[in-house]
Amino acid sequence: MSRPADDLIRLAHVGMHPDRLRKLVAGSGSAGTVLRRIERGRLDLPEEARRAALVPASERRGSLCEAGIDFVVPGDVGFPERLADLPEAPLFLFQRGRSFRGVAVAIVGTRACTGYGRRLAEGYGEVVSKAGWSVVSGLAKGIDGAAHKGSLRGYAGGVAVLGSGIDVWYPRQHRSLGEDLLEAGGTVWSEAPPGARPLGWRFPPRNRIISGIAHAVVVVEAGVKGGALVTARIALEQGRDIFATPGDVGRPASIGCNLLIRDGAFPVFDAEDLLECLRLLLGEPTTASGEDSPGALNPDPGEPIDKFLAKLGDDPVAAIAELGRLVAIGSVEIDGDGFVITRK
Amino acid sequence: MFASTNSVALVGVEARAVSVEAHVGGGEKGRLSLVGLPDTAVREAKDRVMAAMAVSGYRFPPRAVTVNLAPADLPKSGSAYDLPIALALLAAAGEIPDGACNVVALGELALDGALRPARGGLGAAIVAAEMGIPCLLPPEAAAEASLVSAADVQVVRSLAAAISTALGESTFRAPPPRKIHIPERYDMAEVRGQPLAKRALEVAAAGGHHMFMSGPPGSGKTMLARCLPGVLPDLDERTALEVAQVWSSAGKTRRCLTRPPMRSPHHTATTAAVVGGGSGVPVPGEVSMAHRGVLFLDELGEFRPQLLDALRQPLEESEVTIARKGVAVTFPAAIQLLAATNPCPCGFHGHFRKGCDCSERMIQRYRRRLSGPLMDRFDIRIRVEQVDPDALIGPPEEPSRNVAERVAGAYDLQRARGRRNRDLGRSDLDGLEFAPGAQKMIEGALRHGAMTGRGFDRVRRLARTVADLDGADVVRETHAGQALILRGHHEPSR
Repeated sequence: MSRPADDLIRLAHVGMHPDRLRKLVAGSGSAGTVLRRIERGRLDLPEEARRAALVPASERRGSLCEAGIDFVVPGDVGFPERLADLPEAPLFLFQRGRSFRGVAVAIVGTRACTGYGRRLAEGYGEVVSKAGWSVVSGLAKGIDGAAHKGSLRGYAGGVAVLGSGIDVWYPRQHRSLGEDLLEAGGTVWSEAPPGARPLGWRFPPRNRIISGIAHAVVVVEAGVKGGALVTARIALEQGRDIFATPGDVGRPASIGCNLLIRDGAFPVFDAEDLLECLRLLLGEPTTASGEDSPGALNPDPGEPIDKFLAKLGDDPVAAIAELGRLVAIGSVEIDGDGFVITRK
Repeated sequence: MFASTNSVALVGVEARAVSVEAHVGGGEKGRLSLVGLPDTAVREAKDRVMAAMAVSGYRFPPRAVTVNLAPADLPKSGSAYDLPIALALLAAAGEIPDGACNVVALGELALDGALRPARGGLGAAIVAAEMGIPCLLPPEAAAEASLVSAADVQVVRSLAAAISTALGESTFRAPPPRKIHIPERYDMAEVRGQPLAKRALEVAAAGGHHMFMSGPPGSGKTMLARCLPGVLPDLDERTALEVAQVWSSAGKTRRCLTRPPMRSPHHTATTAAVVGGGSGVPVPGEVSMAHRGVLFLDELGEFRPQLLDALRQPLEESEVTIARKGVAVTFPAAIQLLAATNPCPCGFHGHFRKGCDCSERMIQRYRRRLSGPLMDRFDIRIRVEQVDPDALIGPPEEPSRNVAERVAGAYDLQRARGRRNRDLGRSDLDGLEFAPGAQKMIEGALRHGAMTGRGFDRVRRLARTVADLDGADVVRETHAGQALILRGHHEPSR
């Protein structure tokens, strides 16, 4: 008779879809039964997945230990209670970094974000982290990455939940960001076995973990399709509070947020506003360090350079010169897409 | 039994005198041998010359004839040697006096004795002026040749006319080039809105700066580009002649000789078509046709990468060298490069209203095609947005005429200093005089990390040009401020 923990660690390396695995385990009563069925080839699985299930638990534990990866299950110290309470809670998580404690705020959004959204997400990440809450996101391109980046300027350790294996940085450019996050006392989680490639189907289940551990979910920019809205929908089912930053009507990267607001998400306008809302909702964070109050970074909505020039006066030449002066003193920045961002 | 006359061969854009010699002697009747490195078209001259002579009432000598084109090591090509061959041959046969050979002649003969257009008219005039003898050219070639004021260019339409002109029996001197004013097809008054892009174009024109525009389709990048030649000053006599020589060596004539040319090759163009080359005798490419003018590359990201790489030599050295067996030919290519591109394959990346369908990878691949060394050449980089519909129905804006006046003023200042601002190197820039406020401003931007060392040079170059547009000796704050905006903010590939 094998130990249940050993069964789980072997099952975790099969890399099945979390929903399927959960149903199988719930249906047959225990992880051991499912494992047996895999061993006998009773489940429709690729051959390599079947073989992965056969590797003994002790061997798995050894290689995880060597790679600095923890394996946590509900009830463990490192496994967030909030997540364990959900009906769709993962059966296990691979973990790197420090054991997570505290209160998390999810900051999510589209990968195809605008420079404006990126800046906003960075600002959000920074104030949330400085206030002492952990920023949780998916380490994806666009908004996710920006939120993580901003959070590194704060003090609370961040959390990244990956759709790939825990030792696979995706996108590759975010490797250093992920490593910085771990170094700054953050946590990285994944449900996929080490080495798993970032396949599309792994991301929606990943999103339920992000919203699952969060007390509040902030959507910065989201299109009508895509993961950010999926996260928001799951968060709603999980009973999490949802914040969204409105954007121009008809701007594709903002449609999702505007729809969320119509459906009852709470609109937030800037980093300071977000902080106020979070304070009301979550109370003062327990681990806040108190110093260096946030609000230093406060981006206004960006606008195309020509429109901004029109505001600087009727004489275009003088307006261009004035814009140059503003850039030189650092009160205004122009991003690669030609948008003007003002800094207060 | 022997006679010789003169013609020209082009080596690159340089015209070299060619001596056309004919000898009529004993031997086989009716044999004509042509020596002196002629190509096929030159060899065929034999039949055309014989027919034209017969139609014009002259007898082909009933003896062996040898025609030599000297110097023999210079490759000669084309049909333009028909006329000098006919003249030398007739003189050698005693059909016409030797005096008829004391000319520089060029032109293809039709079988009925009429003269057809030939390339190299300008070169013929230059050689004729040096030799101090008249120059006989068909009308088309005579038009460009008239730029050489020291030459006695005679327009001839047939072999018979050429003979009588060469003998001084008749004369039809080519009229001097008319200062025709061809109105530019594009005027900046028609470009609504776009204050930044227009200012950028003016500064680019004034300092000769290479300019890069990125923006969604329909934002008016091409329209803006077409306005650039219209605000550039006229070419002076020397540069007009340079340009005409290049065009002449390509066998093309310009409608208006004194305006700077603009060439806009399509992005499917081959490297040879743009940089120059071709089989046999090299011909100038678009980059040389745009000498002293503008080379506009629309959809820069779509051009072949090796073509863009090949542009680096002309951009650095203002000339292109094409090596062929035996000869390396150098064509001038002092160009102002103007480029436009979409920010991504679909064109709408960063658009404030429409969405972009491209994946991050597609965008990166698209932008990687624009190599760093090439992008470094662009002093001015701006983003062009689609214009607000409100601006489209506004009053007409400042016409090109006014802009051109300011540009001409800035040109004069640079000419007095002896160098275009585009060509200012780091040591020149270090010697520029900046007002304390302007200096502080540029240093401030450096400190804020808003630019790199290379950006620093670009800003100083541009600031000098903006000051020139103001007629200011010292670069002031307003000039530095504009320069900071015009040089662009982020590198196009992030």
